[in-house]
Amino acid sequence: MIDPLKASLEIAGAGLDAQSTRLRIISQNIANSQSTASVAGGDPYARQTVSFDSVLDRSTGVDLVRVKSIGVDESPFKLELDPGNPAADASGYVKMPNIDVLIELADMREANRTYEANLQVAKQSADMMNQTVSLLKDA
Amino acid sequence: MSAIYLDQLATQRTQWLNLRQSLIAGNVSNANTPGFAAKDLPPFSTVLAQTQVAMTATDPMHIAPTPADYAPPQAADEDGANSTLSGNSVNMEGEMMKLGEIGRDASTVNAIKKIYHQMMLSALK
Repeated sequence: MIDPLKASLEIAGAGLDAQSTRLRIISQNIANSQSTASVAGGDPYARQTVSFDSVLDRSTGVDLVRVKSIGVDESPFKLELDPGNPAADASGYVKMPNIDVLIELADMREANRTYEANLQVAKQSADMMNQTVSLLKDA
Repeated sequence: MSAIYLDQLATQRTQWLNLRQSLIAGNVSNANTPGFAAKDLPPFSTVLAQTQVAMTATDPMHIAPTPADYAPPQAADEDGANSTLSGNSVNMEGEMMKLGEIGRDASTVNAIKKIYHQMMLSALK
């Protein structure tokens, strides 16, 4: 294993990376919360999900977090009666994406909190390194 | 145990703190990973209790023991009482508390090292 402080910077960096990917998927979901199909009766945008995994990084010898997979939420689409919509089927129903904006916002807050926590770890690791360096400064 | 023991003690303490910092970093970055078990180090007193007169490394190939050898990382939440439905046992608030503790302890050790170093210098001059 490399120097633990360097390792913690790497780990926190991987955490920031994973959480920003999560944030990207969330913003994609929110932006597409009204995206219907382009053909009549077709399936609309399906909600995407992010899954994390802890993997051993061989170059540093520590466990880093990474995005394991970006999946598709299989839950059913919401049906809305809107006969004038170009995506409406024969009986006038339009399939709307299976996205609840409230859930996405809650998820966004969690991603934000975890991002901040990782940032805090990175800051402190850098700070501890600086402290050691400053021992040499006024020796 | 050398005559100037304080320096070695401070170094060991720093090594222990650095190692703990990397474990906390792992816990925080895996706060949303399903099935991840939070890790922590046993208290520093365990390291001290197990530190004995070590054999001198006379060759670069010799392995010098580090605090990690005396006190290997263990699961922070062994009974899984704090784990969520996804099997993750990271308690973010607890981790942030530990982070603050490590930061404070690191500055204390550094301040002690600095003073000790000044004492050494004033003895030499």
